[in-house]
Amino acid sequence: MSKVDPVVEQAVDTLGLNKVTRRRLLGGVGLTSASLAASALLAACTNNDDKKSTAAAAGAGDFPSTPKWKFVFVCHVTTNSFFTPTQYGAQDACSLLNCEFQFTGSKDSIVAEMVNATNTAISAKADGIALAVVDKDAFRAPVDKALDAGIPVVSYNADGARDDKGTNRLAYIGQGLYESGFALGQRAIEAGLDSGEVVGFIATPGALNIQPRIDGASDAIKQSGKSLKFTPVGTNADVPKGLSIIDAYAQGHSNLAGMLAVDAGSTSSVGQVVQKYKMRDKGLKVAGGFDLVPETLNAINGGSLDFTIDQQPYLQGFLPVLYLYLYKLSGGLIFPSETNTGLLFVTKDNVKPYLETKTRFEGSSTEQQVVPRSGAIAHA
Amino acid sequence: MSDTIEATERVEPAPAGRPSRSILRRVGEEFLRRREASVLVVAVGLGVYFASAHPAFLTEPNLVNISQATAPAAIIAAGMVLVLVSGEIDLSVGVVAALAPFNMHYLIDYYSVPAIPAILLVLLISAAIGFINGAVTVFLKVPSFVTTLGTLYLITGVVLTTSHAYPVPIPPETEGTIRTWLGAAPWSTLIWCLLIVGFFHVLLTRTPWGLHTIAVGGNLLGATEAGIRAGRIKIGNFMMVSTLGGFAGILEAFRINTIDPNIGGGTQIMFIAVSAAVIGGTALAGGSGTVLGAFLGALVLAELQNGMNLIGISANPYFLILGIAILVSMIANVYLSRLRRAGRV
Amino acid sequence: MAADGSGEALRVEHVAKRFGGVTALADVNLHLAKGEVLGLIGDNGAGKSTLIKILCGFHQPDAGKLSVAGEEVVLRSVDHARSLGIDTVYQDLALVNELTVYHNMFLNRELVRWPLLHNRRMRRLAREHLDDMGVNIPSVDVEVAKLSGGQRQAIAVARSVYTEAKILLLDEPLAAMGAKEGALILDLVRELKAKGDVSVIIIAHNYGQILEVCDRINLLQHGSITFDKPTSETSVQELTDLVVAEYRAARTQKLRPDPSTDARPAPGR
Repeated sequence: MSKVDPVVEQAVDTLGLNKVTRRRLLGGVGLTSASLAASALLAACTNNDDKKSTAAAAGAGDFPSTPKWKFVFVCHVTTNSFFTPTQYGAQDACSLLNCEFQFTGSKDSIVAEMVNATNTAISAKADGIALAVVDKDAFRAPVDKALDAGIPVVSYNADGARDDKGTNRLAYIGQGLYESGFALGQRAIEAGLDSGEVVGFIATPGALNIQPRIDGASDAIKQSGKSLKFTPVGTNADVPKGLSIIDAYAQGHSNLAGMLAVDAGSTSSVGQVVQKYKMRDKGLKVAGGFDLVPETLNAINGGSLDFTIDQQPYLQGFLPVLYLYLYKLSGGLIFPSETNTGLLFVTKDNVKPYLETKTRFEGSSTEQQVVPRSGAIAHA
Repeated sequence: MSDTIEATERVEPAPAGRPSRSILRRVGEEFLRRREASVLVVAVGLGVYFASAHPAFLTEPNLVNISQATAPAAIIAAGMVLVLVSGEIDLSVGVVAALAPFNMHYLIDYYSVPAIPAILLVLLISAAIGFINGAVTVFLKVPSFVTTLGTLYLITGVVLTTSHAYPVPIPPETEGTIRTWLGAAPWSTLIWCLLIVGFFHVLLTRTPWGLHTIAVGGNLLGATEAGIRAGRIKIGNFMMVSTLGGFAGILEAFRINTIDPNIGGGTQIMFIAVSAAVIGGTALAGGSGTVLGAFLGALVLAELQNGMNLIGISANPYFLILGIAILVSMIANVYLSRLRRAGRV
Repeated sequence: MAADGSGEALRVEHVAKRFGGVTALADVNLHLAKGEVLGLIGDNGAGKSTLIKILCGFHQPDAGKLSVAGEEVVLRSVDHARSLGIDTVYQDLALVNELTVYHNMFLNRELVRWPLLHNRRMRRLAREHLDDMGVNIPSVDVEVAKLSGGQRQAIAVARSVYTEAKILLLDEPLAAMGAKEGALILDLVRELKAKGDVSVIIIAHNYGQILEVCDRINLLQHGSITFDKPTSETSVQELTDLVVAEYRAARTQKLRPDPSTDARPAPGR
């Protein structure tokens, strides 16, 4: 008799046959035995699945059981609504993989607080750290300390300066900052900017997660060769204050050709101000910015803004958890990889689905849902 | 006579066999009599709670974390107590802290001033800002809240425009010993903090300056009638707190290895320093205060921040819980103070 | 400091003071002998406080002259007056509530073992001085906030005496004080009188009490001293009548436009 798969043996045992029938079945003789075998195997497969899952009940999916690893996200503007979908993404990944995460850092971009939070995570022996590297000097030592202690570290949303990553993190998950700013500038030119004054609003000038964007936009405009004057203006990390600043600027400069913004708050405020003063009727050719705050989407739909750029903050929460989990699971064999979470332009043409659905992915709803989509996928 | 001798013998004090208990009680009473006792109890209580909630709380690296969070606020609070006791307040000290490392950077990198003189010059500039705060308050009779609000915005503007709000790396001339001694070494900020707290505690409680500060805050008219130069006291205290702010800013910059325009968070660290002073037992209205209490208050706030981070509380619920924790700590503090006062003679 | 031998501590001659259109003092003549206790009475607004402020150097008189210990002086400031031995205990007492008795006693004159306060010495000296003056304070370590009004007043007076004041001006020391506490102050003033080298001017409204300690009474009316008699030759009734009559006369006459008198109602007695 050829060797019988122990699975098959187990399946047969479930039938409760007497010894003789059992031997005959296993011997594989006759139709009866075949059909018995078939049904037994079918039953066994179901049983086996149960048996398998009861054996690895703690593990996620097909993974073996792992301790409830804890990952710490250190953020620079913890209460900013931009990061709400990021937290949902991290949450969903954690439920999937049986981990947990903590979202901490600083509310007001205070680097010292972020450094403190990182150090605390190291003391607490976190299983992984995801860090928004908004300063190219301050985080080098803490990240080294974490890596020395065996804690994997990735960066998300911000990764030091263009020429200096600032840390020895394992990978960056986020948008290419300079590149996205450059694309913003290019798109603005394509949309019809050829001469005049262009203003670029930036919430926290100098902050390493958005300053490169405005540098990119400025460079794109400069390199276009058109006679455009680009002025960067700082607004405020606090969105209502930023709105007043943008409002005042618009009042003081009535013949702007272009209004750009490089962060979520400033973008939505630009939309509001353009609508309030009906600037599209007054010679404003182009207005655009970043991120998908509801006011921004409405402004695009209404025509005040031409486009915005989706950074996919959901992925900036989801993917770091995934990478850190796989790193720990595989003992470092699976290494986190550099991931560009996307540079998608949202315009009037494709804004509808964003407007009509409230989803966790955009941060506008906590509900878990399948978002239906049909028809062709837009492409160039 | 024999009767009287007998009588005296019988009247001997009872607890002859238990001297240790009465000494213990006396030490306990002496301790509770101090106004800092209540905030110390709160600080220890929080420590015990967090230590039981997370094993890493009392590990050395974490104690370093707590000390690094306590130090800058406590340093500023030490000076702030004197300002508060004299009846004033300084809202601008946080941005003076932010400006100081930038000044150091300009002096060293643009004007080629050697490192140590540059740092001393920066402290001098901070003192000058304090002088302006004091002079406007005393001579122009502008309420200090308004004066320092003005300098707060003024200096914020100076920081942002001169730095273009870019963070700046630490000047290389300060790498090495200077950096290590002034914040980079794990316990260095705490050592500076303890030295400063000790100095200012003695200043407030055991020198004529401290006495006059209390007099000016407690009874300005009376103090002036007694011949105390109230203006000089106030201006002096403003200068001291601004200098401490500059020093704290430099320590923090060296600790995190970058010069961050946000280092004061605008008002964050000033607010923490004032809160630490008040939690520690200094009256906002003036006339009474304690520097040791302010240090313990800063410790309480640092424990809360660190402990909650360790436990794993995320940002949004963090503020909710921080608010509750501060209220509970303060209520405990006030309640213990009341007990203490009731138990007093 | 040449003495003229008469044992006179203070002499005020033809002092006048105007504030804008209001004449506070018209022609004040007053003298104070060494070791004497003078009671200064007069209705509210009569100018008693103004006179005191001139005597201690706070205000400058528009006319007249002052002599201290027989020598004419012009008091340039409060500090100058203090250096000549004239000290005032104001109604608010200039005490700091948060500080202890001994710290208050030495306020702005602290003993220092540089750079620290010499608390032990101050404590001892304060205790000695208060005992000397017969002031009954249980402990010099207590914060003055915890003392009664009378005790606080006593400390304020003792402080001035301790700083070698020769002429002590007490501005309404008995105001807002119950009988028992008032007695404390009166005892203190009696002690000073017994010692003989401090001269005192007391402003008060409680005639019964000041008649107990004062040697002489002056009444300030219409900007000048209109009554000057030793206490043995007058009584509470006479003083009350004088003051009330003057008040009634001023109401009916309305000759002298003195807004401060007219504006205030008669104090109830």
